[in-house]
Amino acid sequence: MNKRKLALSAACALGALVLTACGGGGGESGDGSVTLKLVAADYGDKASNSSNVYWKDVAKRFEDANPEIKVDVQVINWNEIDAQVKTMIQSGNMPDVLQTGGYADKVADDLLYKAEDVLSPETRQNLVDSFAQAGEVDGVQYGIPFVSSARVMFYNKEHFAKAGITAPPKTWDEVRQAAETLKKKVPGVTPYALPLGPEEAQGESLIWELGNGGGYTDAEGKYTIDSDANVETFQWLKTNLVEPGLTYANPATTDRKTAFADFAAGKVGMLNGHPSLLQMSKTGKVEYGVAPIPGKAGPLDSTLGVADWTMAFKDNGHQEEIKKFLDFAYSKENTLKFTTMYNLMPVTKDTLEETKASADDDMKLFYDLLPKARFYPLGDTSWDAVSAQIKQSGGTAVSDDPAKVLGELQKTAEEILADQ
Amino acid sequence: MSTNTAHTPQERPAHPARAARGKGRGRRFRLDRLGPLPWIGPAVALIVLVVLWPVYEMVRTSFLKISVSGFVRGSAGLDKYRQLFDDPDLGSVLLATVVWTVAVVTCTMVVSLALAQLFHQQFPGRRLTRWALIAPWAASVLMTAVAFRWMLDRTAGVLNTLMADLGLIDEPKDWLGDPSTAWPWMMAVAVFVSLPFTTYTLLAGLGTVPDEVYEAARVDGTGTWQTYRLITLPLLRPAFLVGVVINLINVFNSFPIIWAMTRGGPDSQTATTTVFMYQLKNNDIGQSAAMSVVNFALVVVLVVVFLWVSRWNKEEA
Repeated sequence: MNKRKLALSAACALGALVLTACGGGGGESGDGSVTLKLVAADYGDKASNSSNVYWKDVAKRFEDANPEIKVDVQVINWNEIDAQVKTMIQSGNMPDVLQTGGYADKVADDLLYKAEDVLSPETRQNLVDSFAQAGEVDGVQYGIPFVSSARVMFYNKEHFAKAGITAPPKTWDEVRQAAETLKKKVPGVTPYALPLGPEEAQGESLIWELGNGGGYTDAEGKYTIDSDANVETFQWLKTNLVEPGLTYANPATTDRKTAFADFAAGKVGMLNGHPSLLQMSKTGKVEYGVAPIPGKAGPLDSTLGVADWTMAFKDNGHQEEIKKFLDFAYSKENTLKFTTMYNLMPVTKDTLEETKASADDDMKLFYDLLPKARFYPLGDTSWDAVSAQIKQSGGTAVSDDPAKVLGELQKTAEEILADQ
Repeated sequence: MSTNTAHTPQERPAHPARAARGKGRGRRFRLDRLGPLPWIGPAVALIVLVVLWPVYEMVRTSFLKISVSGFVRGSAGLDKYRQLFDDPDLGSVLLATVVWTVAVVTCTMVVSLALAQLFHQQFPGRRLTRWALIAPWAASVLMTAVAFRWMLDRTAGVLNTLMADLGLIDEPKDWLGDPSTAWPWMMAVAVFVSLPFTTYTLLAGLGTVPDEVYEAARVDGTGTWQTYRLITLPLLRPAFLVGVVINLINVFNSFPIIWAMTRGGPDSQTATTTVFMYQLKNNDIGQSAAMSVVNFALVVVLVVVFLWVSRWNKEEA
């Protein structure tokens, strides 16, 4: 063998080694113990409150109780997790347990265990029903809810007092009147913050659509993005809030985090927010109030519910070990710790009861609305792609022709569905 | 390897002459047969690996149905192209791309001509200002774009604060939220980062104009503007054309400026084809690949123009 061939084969061997190193991760080690690979999103905003701390602690206590199972924890921040999980899946290096924002696209590719296969009946019954149902695809539960949050209306009491508004608005017309008064009496403040930018256009849109009896899907789960009720909703927003300058000049490019930051800085009259805004407002020394979200004719008795999900991959075949781990992770001790750590709302009945009992008045409103919360069509395997499209172009429905924008979204959604 | 006797050091003392002769003949024979291949081989391999193979993959992807998780779900035929050309945004995005490219390149060339003329003069501190000119080029384009985004920010931006303090505006303006103001600002940033390269290209061109020509012109009594128009500009043509074509390709492909400043939004109203391709990736990798193929074709056209122009340069300059 000459030198060049030698070098070539050495390079090949090295390449193969690197490849196998990447592709490894079956998780069975020599002594019969099993290593579970846990991938989770980071809810913290600094090292000290990173979810890594929480999961490492859970893993350690679980390993102490189950010496034959090791848990390999990998916490990834929200901006990266989708792309990294995609890479793991495509390279065949799948996690055993994944905790992130959505699950249905993985069901479409048949990667997940059913919830009943990896949860004991007790743990499963302990999940709040509305959330467990939101984890279903065609009637079978795959997504296991992990934490949740809901939306209510926040208003700045100081600005309202200055404008002489005594009660938070209950209907759309009252929202417009309050916004008009705020604009006149409290200059320099955005009367209503309408964030329809790419960060979360799908959330704010759905909240308003619910107020008019609309939504993204009908009872059969068919997309109804351009339904009359939805078109009417955006037409109302356009002519009553956007055109008279009662909200941001360009809602389609304004993100939720901008709106939250503005509210916490006292620059906003009212907006829809989730529990983390409570803390932000307190830190910003804003005197805030919370109220049910106004609908067209009266306040909504439901709200937008958002949940994050846990799912179990069947590629490595660790069904029994996953079951043990999830039962442990979903115990009251752990879920309570996590939800209080990040001001999120629990999805298990026992923890919900306990946190609800100790909640202050502001949080109580969230808990009252939570059981009736409406969700995105999460169980639809096309939702992730449809949602991405709404994030991108949905906001332009308040600057362009609503019927045209929503019509195009509906067409795209149907195309995505046909491609499945 | 131990089986290769001719090359092992232990064997060499036994038949030194034969081993050396055999080795030399073998190598010459092999090199003769391969011709220039060993020398251009690495370059060819590199081109195949980083140019041809990705192009093949890109074209192949544009004919596939791919799930959100990245699994291939079979062939899509021409569906992805059909969906792309049916997309109501495509027309306006293509138009925006043409306007963006032409406007940025034109402004860059005009300003660079003036700058090059300025820096060609002798003045105190010329070396320092020439260095300073490199700054926008040396800084990362993404960094520059992010810096501009924050300067133009609605609530925290320095521009709004300044204009409000000067009484030019009543309330903060959302410069990047509205396409009609976002486009001019992004174009300004694109011109800003293109100036150094173009100016230096033109400066090099100015350096090649012989002084005798100017002397002759002076003797003949031409005015300043006449000299510039009749002598400098024609002699600057090779440098000018190189600047134009390289800028055309650069600006057409420019992604970081737009992505950092508006992400192409609202919707695709501030997107060029490159940014649009990236937006499509969010919900349909196949359609995004189809857009890439179209983009690739456009770049090939630009490159052909470049080759044609450089030949024309050589023949006539």
